[in-house]
Amino acid sequence: MNNLTKNIIRFFVFVVLQTLIFNQLEIGYGFHLMIHPLFIMLLPFEMGVISLMGLAFLMGIIIDIFSNTYGLHASSLVMMAYFRPIVFKFYGPREGYDPLKEPNVFDMGNRWFTFVFGVLLLIHHLWFFLIEIFQFNQLFFILQKTIFSAVPSFLICLLLQSFLIKKSKTK
Amino acid sequence: MRNLIAFLRRFQIFLIFALLQVISLVIYVQFLSFPRSQYLTTASNVTAKVLTWENDVTKHFDLSKNNYALQRENIRLRERLPEFMYTLSAGKVKIQDTVFKQQYTYIPGMVINSSVTRRNNYFTLNIGSKQGVKPNMGVFSDKGVVGIVHNTSEHYCVVKSVLTKDINIDVIIEPIHLSGILKWDGHDPRRGSIDGISNDLRIKKWSRIVTRGGSGIFPKGIPVGKVERIESIEGEPLWNVVVRYAEDYRTLQRVYVVKNLMIEEQHELEGLIPPDEEEDLLR
Repeated sequence: MNNLTKNIIRFFVFVVLQTLIFNQLEIGYGFHLMIHPLFIMLLPFEMGVISLMGLAFLMGIIIDIFSNTYGLHASSLVMMAYFRPIVFKFYGPREGYDPLKEPNVFDMGNRWFTFVFGVLLLIHHLWFFLIEIFQFNQLFFILQKTIFSAVPSFLICLLLQSFLIKKSKTK
Repeated sequence: MRNLIAFLRRFQIFLIFALLQVISLVIYVQFLSFPRSQYLTTASNVTAKVLTWENDVTKHFDLSKNNYALQRENIRLRERLPEFMYTLSAGKVKIQDTVFKQQYTYIPGMVINSSVTRRNNYFTLNIGSKQGVKPNMGVFSDKGVVGIVHNTSEHYCVVKSVLTKDINIDVIIEPIHLSGILKWDGHDPRRGSIDGISNDLRIKKWSRIVTRGGSGIFPKGIPVGKVERIESIEGEPLWNVVVRYAEDYRTLQRVYVVKNLMIEEQHELEGLIPPDEEEDLLR
């Protein structure tokens, strides 16, 4: 299976998982599981920022249509896609990334993944709740919601990778 | 000109980023207040179909609870039938009634998609303009108020629920008929608040809150919830009345859409009031 078909299938899997399963789970206490940022994270290293943002926008709009948020997911996913190369560069190895590898937890190791995906997920969630609530006297509530949603989302994204991704044999 | 092109090329990534952000935020702000089309909401045909399939599976999870609620409502309504009452004054005379005229009719519907954890929560119902649903109709369930219709397509509609930022349903606190406006602060799907109640008034805990029925969206007296707590707002002569909703919106399934048969008459009459310039300035 080549890279393109794999990512197209992944796109639909993530949209279906997010809209039909994770959007319907209502745990309360401000928990809000969002796993679709993982798709943007898992796209290949050599992909340009502009195509990343285009894909993020498309995916965001589809999820928005399903959850009546009208552009909120699109906005925060584009935000995350914009920051992805910056964070990658900041925490990248000196000789650059190996284009044969994929930015997932098995290829890149736990420490790298936790840091990079953690930061990107925080950016995504923070922007999402900032725009959604949009009251600056509720800053504490925004931060609380961000943390409460980002931590479980991160854990579920870790779990999901073991279901969705084949471990590469080079290791 | 060359400088401009060089500038655009240099900042093209940021410019495209800004463009996409502006597009999505403009859509967000516009649709929040007034949806121009059904295509970006769950009322559109494709999304509603998919959500219906999904609901076909998940609706059975709360089936027994919902059946019980419907049965209880049936009992309440049956108790009002004349056959189930003991006649105290024998020999009543039946007359053709011209005093009452039907003002509200109800359209039954089912929730196929819902959310309660966001800042603005919407419900998608499986009824639409074919069944006579129009925007700005009220929606309630057997336990209490649910929301106001936001947007409709042919077979589906999106309801702006009580759990949104600017729902503003006019309600009264029952024994003393204090009227206020229902709001939601985005924290707890079981609790809302009422604005605009002056703090020289005494409000009893657990007094019932019902709709006022002033704007013709809801009939009078549909339950909303109960007063749970009364807090004073700092620096304002107002109470913040915390309401515990009668309905648990997390497990909502069966709802009714209110159709006011006289709404056009009311709007026509209210449209005759000349606009007050001073009032507009105050806003």
